[in-house]
Amino acid sequence: MAVNRVAVEKIPHPIGDSVQRIDAREKVTGAAIYADDFQFGPGLLYARILRSPIPHGIIKRVDVSRARALPGVKAIVTGEDFPGYIGLYLQDRFIFCRDRVRYVGDPIAGVAAISEEIAEKAISLIDYELEPLPGVFEPDFGASPDAPLIHPDLGKYEVMNFIFPEPGTNISNHFRIRKGDVDTAWKDCAAVVEREFRIPHIQHVPIETHVAVAKADEKGKVTLWGSSQSPFAQRNLIAKALGISQSDVDVIAPYVGGGFGCKAGVSMEALAVAIATKVKGRPVKLRLTREEEFYTAFVRQGLVARFKMGCDKDGKLLVMENKFYWSGGAYTEYGVNITRASGYSSTGPYNVPNVKTDSFCVYTNHPVGGPMRGFGMPEMHSGLEQCIDELAEKVSVDPVEFRKMNCIKTGDTIVTGMTMHPTGLSECITKAAEAIDWGKKNPASAPNKRRGKGIAIMWKAPAMPPNAGSSAWVEMNEDGTLTVAVGGQELGQGTFTVMAQMAAAAMGVPYDWVRIATPVNTDYSPYEWQTVASRLTWSMGNAVVNAALDARHQVLEMVAKSWNENLEDLDIIEGQVISYKSEESISLKNIVVYGIAKPNDQGWIGGPIVGRGNFMPSYVTGLDPETGQGPRAVVHYTTGAQAVEVEVDMDTGKVEIIQGVAAFDVGKAINPEMVKAQMEGGFVQGVSTALFEEMKLKQGILTNPSFVDYRIATSSDAPKKIDAIIVEYPQDDGPWGARGIGEHALVPTIPAIANAIYDAIGLRPGNPPYLSEKIYLLMQEAGLVS
Amino acid sequence: MSINPHPELPVFEYVHPVSLEEASQFLANHAGEARPLCGGTDIFVRMRDGHWNDKYLVDIKALDGTQEIKFDPQNGLFIGSAVNMNRVIRDPNVISHYPLVAEAARTVASYQLRTRATIVGNICNASPAGDTIGACIVLNGRLKVHGTDGFRWVPLAGFFTGPGKTSLKPGDIVTGIELPLPPKSAAGKYIKLGRNQLSDLSIVGVTVLGYPDESLVSGYRFKIALASVAPVPLVSLKAETRLGEGPINPAVLEEAAQLAESEATPIDDVRGSARYRKSMVRNLTYKALWMVWEKIGHLVN
Amino acid sequence: MGIHRITFTVNGEYEQVDVPSNMTLLQALRDKLALTGTKNGCSAGECGACTVIMNGEPINSCMILAVECEGADILTIEGLAKDGKLDPIQETIINRGGVQCGFCTPGILMSSRALLDRNADPSDEEIREALVGNLCRCTGYLRIIDAVKDAAQRERENA
Repeated sequence: MAVNRVAVEKIPHPIGDSVQRIDAREKVTGAAIYADDFQFGPGLLYARILRSPIPHGIIKRVDVSRARALPGVKAIVTGEDFPGYIGLYLQDRFIFCRDRVRYVGDPIAGVAAISEEIAEKAISLIDYELEPLPGVFEPDFGASPDAPLIHPDLGKYEVMNFIFPEPGTNISNHFRIRKGDVDTAWKDCAAVVEREFRIPHIQHVPIETHVAVAKADEKGKVTLWGSSQSPFAQRNLIAKALGISQSDVDVIAPYVGGGFGCKAGVSMEALAVAIATKVKGRPVKLRLTREEEFYTAFVRQGLVARFKMGCDKDGKLLVMENKFYWSGGAYTEYGVNITRASGYSSTGPYNVPNVKTDSFCVYTNHPVGGPMRGFGMPEMHSGLEQCIDELAEKVSVDPVEFRKMNCIKTGDTIVTGMTMHPTGLSECITKAAEAIDWGKKNPASAPNKRRGKGIAIMWKAPAMPPNAGSSAWVEMNEDGTLTVAVGGQELGQGTFTVMAQMAAAAMGVPYDWVRIATPVNTDYSPYEWQTVASRLTWSMGNAVVNAALDARHQVLEMVAKSWNENLEDLDIIEGQVISYKSEESISLKNIVVYGIAKPNDQGWIGGPIVGRGNFMPSYVTGLDPETGQGPRAVVHYTTGAQAVEVEVDMDTGKVEIIQGVAAFDVGKAINPEMVKAQMEGGFVQGVSTALFEEMKLKQGILTNPSFVDYRIATSSDAPKKIDAIIVEYPQDDGPWGARGIGEHALVPTIPAIANAIYDAIGLRPGNPPYLSEKIYLLMQEAGLVS
Repeated sequence: MSINPHPELPVFEYVHPVSLEEASQFLANHAGEARPLCGGTDIFVRMRDGHWNDKYLVDIKALDGTQEIKFDPQNGLFIGSAVNMNRVIRDPNVISHYPLVAEAARTVASYQLRTRATIVGNICNASPAGDTIGACIVLNGRLKVHGTDGFRWVPLAGFFTGPGKTSLKPGDIVTGIELPLPPKSAAGKYIKLGRNQLSDLSIVGVTVLGYPDESLVSGYRFKIALASVAPVPLVSLKAETRLGEGPINPAVLEEAAQLAESEATPIDDVRGSARYRKSMVRNLTYKALWMVWEKIGHLVN
Repeated sequence: MGIHRITFTVNGEYEQVDVPSNMTLLQALRDKLALTGTKNGCSAGECGACTVIMNGEPINSCMILAVECEGADILTIEGLAKDGKLDPIQETIINRGGVQCGFCTPGILMSSRALLDRNADPSDEEIREALVGNLCRCTGYLRIIDAVKDAAQRERENA
């Protein structure tokens, strides 16, 4: 249904207002329900998973007979019971392993029992035999002809048409960019930088671990309660894997205690559902321990990146040649798209005429790589932005000036041949540099310390299929309030709040007249592709606005008829329908459910108002498989810059973050304080990944699977000050011009810190994490310290 | 060795004896399968990880003397084994006379964990990384132990026999630690290097105590204890000796720091490499010595 | 394994529960008393999501056995607001935008409440030290620290 787009120029309240979070009170009183808080009563069964202790092997034998005989055990399942493949972009996974185990933690069997103790005992009674196979632990080795094959059947897997696996290898996706003439461009370069980076796997570390409770009824309908970013994607993928209809899977998803991507797609939820199908009528709960969270759900892929870039004597970028070997882990059903997304954005936010990129997704016998905040961009920018700094230095151009000169600008042709939409990246760079007082070196706080400043810039587009859609409806209640139903999830980013703001603005009611229908329930809620990609404010926002405008239109039509006036003369302000012409007014209360009576008891006009809306981009095109070129690779890019001041302790190598600055072009900040909160939180998470985080995998085994030795930033590690700067260059098809910020806030932090360390001690730290040991030994090798 | 995906507390019996005699007897009768429980901050972690599998946890927090913290100028400070670290940190006598103990305790974990963690527990757990052990060693602490044959005192020297191992016997319950009054004008410093700014286990920990001592040529005695660089909390005897030999100046402090480095035998582990730890022993010992020297260096001509 | 009958006070109410020796206070609160506001983030004393106030001091409820709590006075997040009126720290954390996913929030609030109970005017450093055992992955901590300062000021003004 075509409805009028609300003009960007006319910004109604509460758009742009930093209203209080709609879920704040629940969360501060402990009333907010998360997946582990649902009460299921005494019928609840507890699931445990038998997981592979080795990274690669053939399953010779699994014998569950002793476990099945244990009193209190209600179901045991293995891969034998579930032949269907599962996967988002590439179906390369079974719910339980059938022939092979491919990573430490790969599920071999599942048990449901009346208590956790019995389930644990049952697991220990399962006899199994694995024949170890040699493992692949580095992606560049995995891509070579010498590497053992982890997925010999790669050629048979179903795959979406924009993913290009190479059967007979470990390469599950190969994305290419061939733009301009790279080979001849090198001779025009006055300076060239060539570097390799090895970015480790890290994990999302949501404070709430994964939880799923599944129940299958007699008819075969499945209900799944879970901590989930993607109720509809889970419904879809699980239905397909089980060979049942989507409408026979009901996913109920309450507040999520942190996602960052790990609760997108399907990971452990399929295990709970599979076990539940064998215990008709009883709910089965599977809750990951913190240890399991570190290595058995999703992790961030590792990356071996080889950059080669060149510029002319003035610092103008001429050419980039990139090779990315993504360590996708044991299954790359989701990770293949990270390979693609990093490929089509592989220049970083720069205008480069000649580009050659080969981005490979490589199977390794590591935990499963999946989406993590930034979807390949943090990993890629970690190395790219350090190379840019080095290149700028070679031609004696200031790092900020170099970036201002080369950064992508409105109207530029980007790496895929797409034309860049209006973007405020230049302004982000200028403002970030200004806020950190670029060029001024502050005195160190002690004689044994060194100060430095660094900057890094970024871009990212929502990485998703070209037809990822959103929908919403707006119901009106007798008291005039709105109930907005969506399929997207509140992860803490504030989506419910901004949806309420947008519905209130589009309808003409106060913000606190709006409720969001929670929890999301795929039986009743409108479809949403996934809560990922920083897409909700823009995509789901459009759907909500359309739905609210649809409802508004129905109300105005009803009143226009009743008053015998023209639609154009009517408006809704603060919950009152008013006429500019006759100066009549009527409250929304009651009429939005009961309608309006005709005069003299001659009948009724109107009826219960339900507005509906959807949004799906229509304009994303495919890309040539050989060159990666196409008219419109992505919907849009959010761009931004971060600058950081660090202090390095020469006695220990410890890096302290003195202050941080973040400037991002969000199009339109629907709720400015929440946008800033994303920038701050993303920055500190970025600091954490820069200074501490690394999955220490040795021959496929995670040696730091707990908080004791997987350190994240604490309150003592946050800097004194973070300046969050909002830049607004409206997005043409965003609600009031808005586009996303959720992921972008994390993307440039590692290289900003790396570049600041270089400014402080004259040494480039290279691969993160920049632990005090790494920095100290770097200084020792260079003779800076003894 | 692979990962345990499901660490959890095993089945055990919680036992709550009412007297020290009953407790020691129970522990001796169930040698090898019973353990005294105080704050639990090490026990629960070790049991969850499957390292310890005791059938009985014997709660000693209510037994005689374990909850008291008392000071007198003759005997010094007595900290009962059940006194949590937060209580120790804010005790006025600790603050006045043993600030080094408070400084070290403050670096342990988090405020919540310090509501449960105890100094004696830190000592009995005998991890070379124990933050408060160094302070107790340099302050000449001795443990009051109740065993099947009654009470005895156990000095800390020789108490640690290996990582996680002590000279305690089945039936032994440490009821507290006594720290004699520190020497006149003593100053101390604990420097801990972790990964985060605060919290975390130590990659390296350096405890230094210094005080005027006319029995030594230099006029000063220094005590140096190192954490996380040897199988047990390490006393750096060579460094201590060097600092007694002659006039003290920055070069001598540097020499002592290098001697400490040479005595340390760290390993590579998930927290840090041996090479880094050696350098950190040197740098942080120098720093701690210097900070203590700044406080006491003017006292003797 | 024996079952112990323990009695204690939780949020001002007298409770009695039967618990096995190896049940932690966290499990007793969530599974026996249906007080699910206190969260399980790691079960190892590292993340602080399970922080409650026991006998006036904050503890990780995953690191204490329920049987050790006989006779204790326990305050959980559900008991922080009184008769529907939010505690100052609950109000200021909302005002400052220090809540996102909310999973660390109950633990953060209990640690903060305990801090203000023992220190009416904490410095920035003291707040960071007091909260170092409460991990947050969303907010970056600064707004939480400001919220604690705001609450401290408000309480000093109203004292």
